[in-house]
Formats: sequence, structure tokens, C-alpha cells
Amino acid sequence: MSAIAGAAPGRGTGRRAGAGAGPPVRFIRDTALLTARSLRAIPRVPERLLDVTIQPIVFILLFLYVFGSAIHVPGVSYKDYLFPGIIGQSLAFGIIGAGVATSHDMTEGVIDRFRSMPISRLSIISAQVMGQFCEQLLGLTIVVVFGLILGWNPHLTAPHAIELVALMVLGMFAFTWMGVLLGMLVRSPDAMQGVGFIVIFPLAFLAGTFVPIAGMDTVPRAIAQWDPISALVGSVRGLTEGVHSSGSWQLVHPELAMALWCLVIVAVCVPLALRRFNRTLAG
Amino acid sequence: MSQMPAIETEGLTKRFGQFTAVEDLDLRVDTGMVLSLLGPNGAGKTTTVRMLATLLRPDAGCARVGGHDVVHHAAQVRRLISLTGQFAALDPHLTARENLVLMARLRGRGRREALDVTEGLIERFAVGEFRNRLVKNLSGGERRRVDLAAGLIDIPHVLVLDEPTTGLDPRSRQVVWSTIRSLVDDGVTLLLTTQYLEEADALADRVVLIDRGREVAAGTPAQLKTQVGAQRVDVIAADAGEFERLRVLLRGRFDISESAEQRTVSVAAPEEAENLAQVAAVVAQAGIGVDEIALRRPTLDDAFLALTGHVAHEDPRGNSWIDEPKPTEVAA
Repeated sequence: MSAIAGAAPGRGTGRRAGAGAGPPVRFIRDTALLTARSLRAIPRVPERLLDVTIQPIVFILLFLYVFGSAIHVPGVSYKDYLFPGIIGQSLAFGIIGAGVATSHDMTEGVIDRFRSMPISRLSIISAQVMGQFCEQLLGLTIVVVFGLILGWNPHLTAPHAIELVALMVLGMFAFTWMGVLLGMLVRSPDAMQGVGFIVIFPLAFLAGTFVPIAGMDTVPRAIAQWDPISALVGSVRGLTEGVHSSGSWQLVHPELAMALWCLVIVAVCVPLALRRFNRTLAG
Repeated sequence: MSQMPAIETEGLTKRFGQFTAVEDLDLRVDTGMVLSLLGPNGAGKTTTVRMLATLLRPDAGCARVGGHDVVHHAAQVRRLISLTGQFAALDPHLTARENLVLMARLRGRGRREALDVTEGLIERFAVGEFRNRLVKNLSGGERRRVDLAAGLIDIPHVLVLDEPTTGLDPRSRQVVWSTIRSLVDDGVTLLLTTQYLEEADALADRVVLIDRGREVAAGTPAQLKTQVGAQRVDVIAADAGEFERLRVLLRGRFDISESAEQRTVSVAAPEEAENLAQVAAVVAQAGIGVDEIALRRPTLDDAFLALTGHVAHEDPRGNSWIDEPKPTEVAA
């Protein structure tokens, strides 16, 4: 009779074709489907990508051609000093981007539908993370390509390149989870922007991104020495330029510090995000 | 089949800070039945269905869907229930068709099968015309149809429709009503929330009237109406002069109330048709000119007013998120 009657064998069982698949397979499939959903929206709302595309380019141009002439870093050209900083800043700003996108998404009715469907709730958040991760990856690629075009000359050996890529992937993964958690905790995308400007923005600037930490005043220097973003910037700079700064354990061993920071962030943020997501939001 | 109710709640309660949204609510919906939760804005309808759909955790009491507790066996409940909310639960940046394919895939259909299911739904819900438009660009009525379709990829054991016609133009409302009726014919258990009294009257087997989170009354639509008082015969006079004659004539013989403004005399009619015949005979004998003589049963509006002491708000259609319906919309 109708399409409905034709589907009647599925009544009450929820799934049919997927019924035989085990939970891990279903989790991966659902995550992939939901990630594809996020990615498909990107070309339809291209303005969402401004913060990972145009924004870093603006910073590059500002610091390379405006402020850079007044900054002198001993032993390295400012261009080579700047790009590791910009990369660190881009990853840190990814926290804000992921947070804003998540808090925006959580207000959309479709998330409620997903939540009321027989799919793993972790797959809904994982897809959110994957979608944001892909956006960050695009942003990072743009920064690197733009840098190379402008004459950035990273001195990379093959093992260092592999280490760098691994650290970047781990960093983006951890920071995206942090952003997704923050996005769920705040009340609105605007609030997330606020958190970004008050907390993440200064931390990203302090982290030896644009000027050496050693020259900072006592208080900002103390913060910068233990700022996780300093470890990130320091490890990119260490791997591309072979220079390590000093002043704290994490500045001397930025790669190891960075890896530890990421593990801690993931270990904290994943369970908290899942718990938050399972708890109810609005009525 | 067992006699287990499709939906059962006992003492269901939800608070938001100081505000009690739902208080001590007992519901029972037997399999294949249509229960309407009727109440004005803010009565607690949406909160109730969100608890049933595992989206909100009750603060007290319990709720079971198909015998499964919504808190402790949420995964089983999600397999049985499909909620179509008050606001379209679709991805605004996907097209109507992409949304349906995604939902079908998430419900375990393979790629090929998902496309087939989607085609069937597109046809059934008359989505064809706008299947490739982004959901954010659809009108309220179009969006609602896609939303309903997305909730029916698998025929759910229990379908929950939260204010399915709020904000819809009359034509889209008819489409939704006829869809609901055909689902009920297919044996789906339905919990329908509405603030439209005539909607509950038209679709539901049983109505639970709630106000400020509490049950005010429950019963069949007919029972609720009789709870407010007896039926009456309304006689509408042809003009003001005839109204005067009419009320003098009827006052002596029956228990009446009157409205000069509407030129109407209402006669209590506990015997229904018998009273109608008596009144008609008396009026005809006196030769009074009348426009209408009719037996009236109280409406659910009357019931609401009588049971809650205030009028149900009738102003939910000003929701700004709903676009004006397009003239091209067609009935399914």
C-alpha cells in the first residue's frame, strides 16, 4: 500500500541492516556518517572557514611586514622565527573555533534527533571533533603553504618531519576536544567567543609566538614558561630551526611536554564532554 | 502481544531550578492508542515528551516505553520511540533528501537501501518538489513534512509528535492530520501534544489535559466535554424583536441562559434530542422567526476554561522562525 506499510518489517526493531554489526563497527560507521554531514556543510557556509583561512594570513602579514621590523630575535631570521609561532597560534585558536561551532551545533534541533536515535552518543561527539579537526587541518595547510610561498625555510630532516606531523595531529586532536568540551559548557557561541578572547587569545600571544619569552616581564614570563601553547610553539620551532629556548622544563623539552599536555587534555576532556553531552541541556 | 502499555509514567516530575515544569504526572498509553497531551504554552508538554524520548532525565517518578525504563534502559527506549519535535530536527545545511538519506543510514540502512527508503518517504510526504533544496530555505510546512518523514524511516513502536501543527497554515495542517490518521490506521501508538483543542478532539482516543505541569483532567474527548456540564439547545433568533419574544416564550418553560448580543437563547438539554424536539415544537407553534435551532455539546475550549479557570492561550502561531507558507504547497 504505502511506503510505510512496505517498511513494516522494521517496526520496533530500530535497525535492520546494521543489526548484525558489532558496536565498534557501528560506532565507526556512525562517526563517519556524521563527520560527512559536518564536512558537507562547509562549502555551503564558507564564512565558517574564515577563522582558519583568512585570519592566520592576516596575522602573518601583520607580523611579517608591520610589527616584525621592530622585533629582533638573535640567531634566526624573523620569518623563520614567526612561522612556528603562527602555527602554534592557529592550533590554539582552533580551540575557539571548535568551541563556537559546537555551542552553535548544540542549539540545533538535529542534535536532539541524533540523541534520541539508537546510535552511540560518543559517535555524535566524535563526529563533531572529526569535522572540526578537518577544518583545522585545512587551516594549518594554508598557513604552511602560504609560509613556504613567502619564503619560510624550515630546516627539516625526515625523522623531524615525521615527529612534527605526529605532534601536530596529536595537538589538533587534543585542542579540538578541548574546544568541543568548552563549546558544550558555555551557554552560547557568543560566550565561547568571550572565553576565547579572555583566556585563549592572551595565552596564544604569551607563548613565545611572536616575541621571545626571555624578554618578557616577570609575571607574563612565568605564565609563558608553563603555558601549554609555549610547548607547542617551542616544539615546532625546535624541530624546524633546531633552536630550543630555556627557562622551564617544558621549554627545554617542548616535544615531550607537548605530547604530555595532549594526553592530559584528551584524558580529561573526552570523558567530561561525553558526560556533559549525556546530561541534558535545555528543556 | 502482552498487555504492557506502550507508554507508562508514574509520578513523573521535572524541575528546572525553582520552576517545576512537570509534576507528579501519571500517563498510560496502550499499544495502538492515540493519547493527546493537551495544554497551553508552558504547560509541560514538551518537557514530558523529552523525558520519554530520553533527552531529559526525570527528577522523580519513572517513565517506561514498551516496558523499558527511560533512564536505565535508554538504549532500548531509543529503538522503540521516534520523536518529532516542535522545532524541525533536521540539518539546515543539508537538502531535504540528504537529511532523509543520512537518517536512514544512521538507522542501519545500507547506501542502496537508504536511497530506496528515502524515495518512498519523498513520495509519501510529497517532498518531491523541494527534495533538493537546503532545509534552511524551506517553509515551515515543508520543513515539518521532511521532519515527519525523517521520524518514520522505521515505523516506530511509539511515535511522539510534539505540537505537530503549531505554526502551520491550515492546508499543511490537513496534510499532517491525514498522515497521522494513516499512521494510526497502521497501528502505531501515538502520543500527540497540542495546544489546539480541536486537534485533540479530532485525532485522540484519550486526552490528558495538563496545565502548569499537572494533570487537570483526563478522559475521552466526549467525557471531557460532558465533565463541563450538560448539552444545550441553542436557538438563534432572526432579529432583536424576535429575540425578545423568544426569551419570554422559553423562559417560562425551560431552564435557560441567554445572550442578547448573539440573539441566542440556550436551553439546558439533559435529554439531548428529546429536548431539541420539544424546543423546536414550542418555537414553531409560537411562530417565532429563528435562524437556527441546534443541539450543542460543550467544546474542549469550554472544558479547558471550566477545568483550569483560565482560557487556553491561542497565540502560538506568531513564532517568528516559521516562514510564511508558499502558495505552491500541495496537499499529499
